[in-house]
Amino acid sequence: MVTGIIQDLKKAVAGIEASEVSYEQNGYHAAVVTQKGSLVSVAEFFNGRVFYLADLCCVDYVDYLELVYFFNHHKTLCRIKVTLKVEPEKPTAPTISHIYNIAHWYEREIHEFFGVYFEGHPNLTYLFLHEGIEYYPLRKKPTPVPEDAKKLLNSFNPEGEEDTFFVNLGPQHPSTHGVLRVVVKMDGEYILSAEPVLGYLHRMHEKMAENRSYLQFLPNPARIDYPGALLLNLAHVTTIEKLCGIEVPERAQYIRTITCELNRIASHLLWFGAFPADLGALTPFLYAFDDREQILDILENITGSRLTYCYFRFGGLYNDIDDTFIEMTKKFVKRMRERFKIYDELVTGNVIFVNRAKGTGILEQDQVHKYGCSGPIIRSTGMPFDIRKTEPYAVYDQVDFEIPTGTVGDNMDRYNVRMAEMEMSLRIVEQAIAKLPSGPFKAEKVPKKLKPPKGDIYHAVESSRGETGVYIVSDESDTPYRMRWRVPSYSNLMTFPALARGTLIADAIATLGSYDIVVPEIDR
Amino acid sequence: METQGPIIRFAVLDKVLDLARANSLWPVTFGLACCAIEMMCTSMARFDLARFGAEVFRPSPRQADLMMVTGTVTRKMAPSLVTLYEQMPSPKWVIAVGNCAISGGPFVFKGQYNIVEGVDKLIPVDVYVPGCPPRPEGLLEGLMKLEEKITGTRRFPKAEEKW
Repeated sequence: MVTGIIQDLKKAVAGIEASEVSYEQNGYHAAVVTQKGSLVSVAEFFNGRVFYLADLCCVDYVDYLELVYFFNHHKTLCRIKVTLKVEPEKPTAPTISHIYNIAHWYEREIHEFFGVYFEGHPNLTYLFLHEGIEYYPLRKKPTPVPEDAKKLLNSFNPEGEEDTFFVNLGPQHPSTHGVLRVVVKMDGEYILSAEPVLGYLHRMHEKMAENRSYLQFLPNPARIDYPGALLLNLAHVTTIEKLCGIEVPERAQYIRTITCELNRIASHLLWFGAFPADLGALTPFLYAFDDREQILDILENITGSRLTYCYFRFGGLYNDIDDTFIEMTKKFVKRMRERFKIYDELVTGNVIFVNRAKGTGILEQDQVHKYGCSGPIIRSTGMPFDIRKTEPYAVYDQVDFEIPTGTVGDNMDRYNVRMAEMEMSLRIVEQAIAKLPSGPFKAEKVPKKLKPPKGDIYHAVESSRGETGVYIVSDESDTPYRMRWRVPSYSNLMTFPALARGTLIADAIATLGSYDIVVPEIDR
Repeated sequence: METQGPIIRFAVLDKVLDLARANSLWPVTFGLACCAIEMMCTSMARFDLARFGAEVFRPSPRQADLMMVTGTVTRKMAPSLVTLYEQMPSPKWVIAVGNCAISGGPFVFKGQYNIVEGVDKLIPVDVYVPGCPPRPEGLLEGLMKLEEKITGTRRFPKAEEKW
């Protein structure tokens, strides 16, 4: 597929350089270098082929800034990196936000962190940062923010219109799952527009990565997405293993799979408690946390912490599992199957719940590629997109599991998909425990100070919310030159303004609850 | 900074009131980050915050008298946090849960541009509970420390120190 796409692209757009690269080494199939004039036609080309914009980031090479676009296909794996060089002084680039909706936010993010002006962007205001920032945070050389750019800091300008009013959902609101703020313009009970305001928990992970060695950054991913801490830990560790060419023993791979799936269930259980709570039912919360505590007990035994795990190391694990772990896990799998029956009686068939969830917040399948959605959100529309299947990591290619999908893409489908996913995770855990080989749990001779070869790599794993990708640019030193996190909640939340428009505010709360967003992940 | 007390004080009645307050602290539903999940765990079945009368989480600060700052306070969040604190009626107390709320925790480094290094730079804090995140037991101990601060006596005898 890649060769054909490149040939077609060369034919369709003049003046670009495109070449295939080693997927094993870089994590993407082809690299395309564009100019400012041809970028929009390249984006249009990919949009025509139903590619989604997986990520858009910027790397500061001091002499020039490089915008990096990752395009991928939901059905067949074909990841293409498109780069565009821009000048460091007053950098400008054409916008692609009219083609891909998600580029809207990505471009605003790059504007505030690097100072790139996107020509034609409808609302180039700050997304994350507070007022009064003096220097562009992610530039390598301190570059002051010009005075005229500071005017853009206020993104919220309520203008007096008759018969409408504004409601601020958050930053302190029980159903925003943290400190998300949504500015909602209302006409009576109906929503005219909803605009999320991000950045209330921006904790500078990407900046920290540039200041710390690969080993020192290990605890950070767990704080990016705390309900699914191990999954992000895995994303970080596997990317660097791939970059450095470290072989991981098979036993470690199996244990990684088991612990990750347990963590996925714990994360989904947290959502299972919170979603009905958003709709007004507090009881499932108590049930879900009861089961979640069982998983925390299992994981605490081997990792040493309850929530923010840092269990994986480059080339293996922190320590081996014991018989207690296997026994407890088997017991848990048995218990959980019984509990699902209770859940079904309590929530799934509950007529109040069904009436609230069915037919609200419908996401159309032909829209998803414009937003770059992933995870249960996209699977609920009927698209079987799962990184565990398309790019198997750990031992997902050796266990048998299916991808549960929905049909309509409404809140009920998202609920059903997640419930089915938990059962699927139990199946994976069971199989992996049965197949668990003996042997070392850690690769030998992994140097303490990692110095990966020069180059870049993109690697993605399926976290409990979707495609979590890490893009690392290495310059042969022991700290990454640039580490970029592609997080699923960010692109999933981008669909919220579209789904909320025209609905009742109570339904919008249900939709927001069904997303299972984690705010520190969005803000990083 | 000192916590504001009531304007009119009655000697014995105050003690009775303090006892009542200490045994029915109403926290405001204010989760910031990772520590908020542990706060939720504390209020759930296993750790059961209700045993100490502090399970009534109020979404509105006007009905609450305890604020648990559970997580990193960013500069963008700081004004909202201060507003929330000011909206709470006196007497009110603050527990700083986790290293981020105490000092900025793991997110303090040279050149950091977005976090407040400790919530006590914004509002007065009564009890600090360290951890990243603190275990629910730690949070419960913090709550008992606060009760001790309010009434002057401890609810349970202190556990023997092992090290």
